[in-house]
Amino acid sequence: MSTGPHPPELPPSKVPIATPVPDLTLRNNYRQESQRIQHDFGAIGSGLASLSSRTRLVDTLALTLWEQHFTEVARGGCSLVALGGFGRSELFPYSDIDLLFLTEDNACGDRIKSAISSMCQTMWDCGLRVSPCVRTLADCGRFDQNNLEFTLSLLDCRFLCGDQPLFERLHARHLPQLIARESDALLQSLSEMTQSRHQRFGNTIFHLEPNLKDGPGGLRDCHVAQWIGMIVALSSGRHDLVSVRQNSAHGEMLDAMEFLCSSRCYLHYRHGRDDNSVTWAAQEELAARGIATGAGAVSPAEWMRIYFRHAKAVHRNSSQLLGQVSRERSSLYRSFQHWRSRVSNSEFSVVDGRVYFQQAADAREAAAVLRLFTFMAHHGVALSPEAERRLNDAHLRLAETLPQDQYLWQQLREILTLPHAANALRAMHSLNLLTRAVPEFETIDVLVLRDLYHRYTVDEHTFMAIEVLHGLKDEKYPSLQPFAQLVSELEHPELLFLALLLHDTGKGLEGADHVHGSLQLAASAVERMQLSEEDAATVCFLVANHLEISSTLRRRDIYDPTTIRELADKIGAPERLKLLTLLTLADIKAVNPEALTPWKAENLWRLYTRTAGYFDRSADVEGSDAKVSREVVEKVMELLPTQRSEVLKFLEGLPQRYLPSHSPEQVAQHFAMAGSLAAEPVQLGLRPNSGQHELTVVTGDHPGLFRTLAGILYAWGMDITKATAFSNRSGVVVDTFYFKDRFRTLELNPPECERFQRFVREILMREASLDRLLESRLKADHKPVKLSVQTHLRYDDECSSRSTLLEIVTQDRPGLLHTISATLTTEECSIEVALIDTEGPVAHDVFYITCDGHKLTAERMRAIEWALTAELADTLPSTW
Amino acid sequence: MTKLETVIQPAKFDAVKDALIEIGVEGMTVTEVRGHGRQKGHTEFYRGREYTVDLLPKVKIEMVLPDHIVDRAVQAITTAARTGKIGDGKIFLARVDEAIRIRNDDRGENAL
Repeated sequence: MSTGPHPPELPPSKVPIATPVPDLTLRNNYRQESQRIQHDFGAIGSGLASLSSRTRLVDTLALTLWEQHFTEVARGGCSLVALGGFGRSELFPYSDIDLLFLTEDNACGDRIKSAISSMCQTMWDCGLRVSPCVRTLADCGRFDQNNLEFTLSLLDCRFLCGDQPLFERLHARHLPQLIARESDALLQSLSEMTQSRHQRFGNTIFHLEPNLKDGPGGLRDCHVAQWIGMIVALSSGRHDLVSVRQNSAHGEMLDAMEFLCSSRCYLHYRHGRDDNSVTWAAQEELAARGIATGAGAVSPAEWMRIYFRHAKAVHRNSSQLLGQVSRERSSLYRSFQHWRSRVSNSEFSVVDGRVYFQQAADAREAAAVLRLFTFMAHHGVALSPEAERRLNDAHLRLAETLPQDQYLWQQLREILTLPHAANALRAMHSLNLLTRAVPEFETIDVLVLRDLYHRYTVDEHTFMAIEVLHGLKDEKYPSLQPFAQLVSELEHPELLFLALLLHDTGKGLEGADHVHGSLQLAASAVERMQLSEEDAATVCFLVANHLEISSTLRRRDIYDPTTIRELADKIGAPERLKLLTLLTLADIKAVNPEALTPWKAENLWRLYTRTAGYFDRSADVEGSDAKVSREVVEKVMELLPTQRSEVLKFLEGLPQRYLPSHSPEQVAQHFAMAGSLAAEPVQLGLRPNSGQHELTVVTGDHPGLFRTLAGILYAWGMDITKATAFSNRSGVVVDTFYFKDRFRTLELNPPECERFQRFVREILMREASLDRLLESRLKADHKPVKLSVQTHLRYDDECSSRSTLLEIVTQDRPGLLHTISATLTTEECSIEVALIDTEGPVAHDVFYITCDGHKLTAERMRAIEWALTAELADTLPSTW
Repeated sequence: MTKLETVIQPAKFDAVKDALIEIGVEGMTVTEVRGHGRQKGHTEFYRGREYTVDLLPKVKIEMVLPDHIVDRAVQAITTAARTGKIGDGKIFLARVDEAIRIRNDDRGENAL
């Protein structure tokens, strides 16, 4: 900010400087009026009304200051112009105020410098964020590629005071000329700017805490649509191109604007600044106050549902407009699209990657419309605005005539199995035709699951899941490639896709268990579509069991033969196993971009191969595991031919699952580490393993070893995903921890690996203390909780022959595993296997525990339950 | 009010500044400095001879913030400045009793 000349004054100490009286009254008036506007907004809740009142208030203030600071001489050849949001009369409470001091020539600009700075300073002191600029008329008529924002803000210019003829010359002559001359460059830059803005938000409207202004589908996109309309209208010859589109979008866009304005206004008042992110807490307030809902208070999930409906409309409209103008102008794209237009046939033509009806009347025929979607699913083309308009016009007729029976299934099965199925389904859904054909889908239309884990609305999640499966064949990640093979082996892929389409429909129904609801809806859908009895049974089976594999992965040790046998019994046939595995993969991957880690994918594949192996051999897993164990032992013997008896002694007493879950090399390494214990009582092995790290500790029996290791890893900022603990008859312990390196410390800083191992050794040898480090890590990780999760403890005594399974579902928090393992250690239990999984705020931890090498007694279970409940309640993080 | 004194890699300054402005930080003082942390500089070769560079160029950002924004500012800095490698820098926090705007004697958070 520049400062103007001030009379020198020496304030007496401790007494505030006397500010000039008029400024003080002005400031007070402004504040009072602002408060009144805020109060009115609180009472009425209309964003648009409050924006225009605020614009009027700032107009008045600017006029008063203009009168005060600009002498008659200064006013000649100069006018004050509002730009941007101020120019549109859409002034949000904490938005910047863009002022243009438009001058005839440079000399005039120099004359008014001091007046401008004192005017702006007073506005700053009132608390307004002014961004002033001084430009001559000639400046405004030039287009600067590096300052697109200025030219765009000129589009919204509004005269405030001063030399009106000067402003008219800008508004009626220079600006239209500029736009007409530079429209191509302007549209090109606008499109690039929008793309890079969308990129910052991952090119998706789906965010847990979206940004109402800059995010895709936000207010900025509405402005972009308006600007495109203005630029196209002002530039010659292209008038008709967009106006049609604009008119059809009008109602939808206006509703969205009103919603977004009211919500953004609320956010400004709530945050006390220009912060437009709808945080978790803000969502609850907006919903409770019924801001912009038109129907009073609603649940936060419902409010977000309304938001996503509007954001989808804005995003769809503005992207279509942008696509249209940038395609018009890019010759490269044109030649590419020309190639693409070769896919046109007698029914549909493709121009610029958009599909048109050859015969207008076809848009009224259900059969032709379904063929259109099949065509889209095949070629990955988008609907043309014209086709969209025709379909919208024919909506009533289509809604009545669209088949829902066998004929629909014939078309749908084709659409579902084509490579761009998700694309076609999205188009069908945005035209409200999918819910007409498959009414079961209605329940999950833009349904929001507000749990900080599901990032997409349920309908979008469903489309994403279908997209994931089709995308597998081009998959780059090695951990996902084996699944692509699986897709190509399927006998009836269409059944899998239908099951995916229906698998979450129950989420829109009342009741806690969505699987049951989905199953009922799926059953009615397959009956209506007259699937064969066998196919119907497969679809229903898939929907009913779509969580089976993920819950096995999360809750069971996949190296335990009992786990495999139980899963295989439930699934019954190898083909169904394939279908269910793929459904699980797609379902997890479509939850949020990070949900399917390479680790999870690998575990899913391992579970698949083990279960498939069980079907192949049609023998019990124990038998095959015994065989695998023998093979491992033989290979270890080959590696260490001279130490047969020592190896056998080392293996003595190690649990049965030790051998099948380790490679011969690993076993040989553990054996070698055990052999060196005499020289160095703590043996460590650290290596990277499929995107994670694996820490193996071999040492003499050590009370609380598991707890200490969990603590050390936590103190270093590591996230433990799995841990196993074994001990042999001579008291040698082999503990393995698999963990994610949150900050990539070990990967990026090779010397840190050594320091880490030294640290582990020192702690285990009790040469250093862990407590202080833990304390500081706890402090660093302290974050208020957004969503509370109830704690549930559950025992399962049946699922393993040797140990008791303890399942804990609780609020995720810093050092949770350390807390739990410390409690279990105090209760004299040993942890054999720990499986740790986190979904958003929910931690699912499963422990296979024993006490003195046996399953837990009922009494011990109660004691642990009591201690854990108390401990978990004590360490609960605070809510906001 | 809290004073944040942040030392970061010079290459990360723009990202940190943008992240801070994004969350509403309105002013900062920036200095180019030299120093070293735990990594104690590094070794370079000049005409085949090894010599130690023990003071590395860094950027120091100082700002005084109202308390309610401090956590977010720390988060923004760590996110923007983190490469994961040794030498990413440090943040020091200290309480500030008073702030005075010289121009008009505004006091406390008003003066920030």
